[in-house]
Amino acid sequence: MNVLQLKSFYAYYGEKKIINDMDMKIEKNKITAIIGPSGCGKSTFLLSLNRMLEESGGRAAGNILFNGKDIYSMPKEEIRKRIGIVFQKPAPFPFSIYKNLTYAPVYYGIRDKSRLREIAIDKLKISGLYDEVKDELGMSALKLSGGQQQRLCIARALTVEPEVLLLDEPCSALDVKNTANIEKMLRNLAGDYTIVIVTHNLYQAKRISDYTAFMLDGELIEYDETARMFSSPQNRRTREYIEGIYG
Amino acid sequence: MKKISSIFFNAWILFSGLLALLSASFIFIYILKNGFKAMTWEFILSNPAGIPLGSEGGILPAIIGSLLLMLISCVFASILAISTAVYIVFYCKSKRMESLAHVVIQCMAGVPSIILGLFGYTFMVANLKMGRSLISAGLTLGIMIFPFIQVRVEKTFREFSSSMLLSSYALGTTKLYTLLRLVLPQSIRDIVSAVTLAGGFAMGAAAPIILTGAVIFAPIPKSLSSPVMALPFHLYILTGEGISIEKSYGTALVLILLLFIINLVSISLTFWRKEATK
Repeated sequence: MNVLQLKSFYAYYGEKKIINDMDMKIEKNKITAIIGPSGCGKSTFLLSLNRMLEESGGRAAGNILFNGKDIYSMPKEEIRKRIGIVFQKPAPFPFSIYKNLTYAPVYYGIRDKSRLREIAIDKLKISGLYDEVKDELGMSALKLSGGQQQRLCIARALTVEPEVLLLDEPCSALDVKNTANIEKMLRNLAGDYTIVIVTHNLYQAKRISDYTAFMLDGELIEYDETARMFSSPQNRRTREYIEGIYG
Repeated sequence: MKKISSIFFNAWILFSGLLALLSASFIFIYILKNGFKAMTWEFILSNPAGIPLGSEGGILPAIIGSLLLMLISCVFASILAISTAVYIVFYCKSKRMESLAHVVIQCMAGVPSIILGLFGYTFMVANLKMGRSLISAGLTLGIMIFPFIQVRVEKTFREFSSSMLLSSYALGTTKLYTLLRLVLPQSIRDIVSAVTLAGGFAMGAAAPIILTGAVIFAPIPKSLSSPVMALPFHLYILTGEGISIEKSYGTALVLILLLFIINLVSISLTFWRKEATK
């Protein structure tokens, strides 16, 4: 089943076309990895999916259907609540860990203290951070290490109960151990959430994703099941990209 | 050659630093020395007396008047300034509108304070029939410090981390919620210090209030429409009319001490907040 569907979708920054005529379907409760060289439009693609593109001055044309409804005809706040995003550089709010996690639930009207606490602890457990910080929920989130901050940001994105989680190179600044933590978490999340992850790391795409899409110069070149994509790419450019990095 | 120029440069920096420090302390010590004799509890806590008025007695109504003027101008100016900054940074989509706003604010900052006083007089005192009063003078001072606060608050907002803003929008929250829950709490230290500095500036200004509300003698104001005494104007009268040199130094000392205390309170407030958010 498709949760997201792009129909002849274009994205622009000013006059510059970043994404050119893209058609794509994203499968529900699976992990889809987007790979491609720098500047190919991967991040712009991700920002388009929950309308964060317009916050950074971009413009979209064409359709993106979310459960069959065009996201550009829905309020952008609602789209962002249901399609969460985690950016490349973790940006925890300069509050306590606890307050980072209750920031959005409070906005959505949850006032009950015990309910808020439950949400915070639940999401920390999901992101694998709970055991490390359980006695220090009042500590400033800025004191966490980079990997912990990124997991906190993922936990924060989950506090609004999104259906889709978008991740823009979430591990690019992290070491091997933190990356492994996050990958394990994403695998666990995949049953309940649709995950779209942009990554530079082909090994990562291969390890965790069910589907992989290869983008080049704003176009979708190849899109297939991950195993098939890496063992027998159909397109010459996909093969060259995969082999080039391997070689 | 390089060495000589670096020695010269270091000496120049040292000289400039010392000059600033020395002239500031000279002014303070000079006023302290000359005003100290006038400083008694009676001077601070009683009304002006004697003939001519002010040659005896104290300056209580002027102290209260100045504090009230500062309060009114700060409240008025900070509401306007913060709203303007929020609009320009977060809501204004048109570049042209933004530069227009900046030009207007710069022009306001450049208007001589006596002209502002004249404006307050014709517009508020005469046209709006508000009379020479606490409110007319307070609002005129507010117009004077508005650009001062606005520029600083706008700078604070501009420096706010855009990745945090985006993270907040990405959770589906509105701009308003992001502003109230994330941006303002994080900027409050800078805003408070800008407003306090501006308040000190307003408290020390005589020109805008001469025509709009300050008088030689008035009791502590009972309402917003009462005329008011103010320290800088009182100082001007005492010295200008040659009423009492000793009392003018006393008044100057009180003014400086008040500004000192206000800044101290502001620093400790912001320091306390910094500790609390750690």
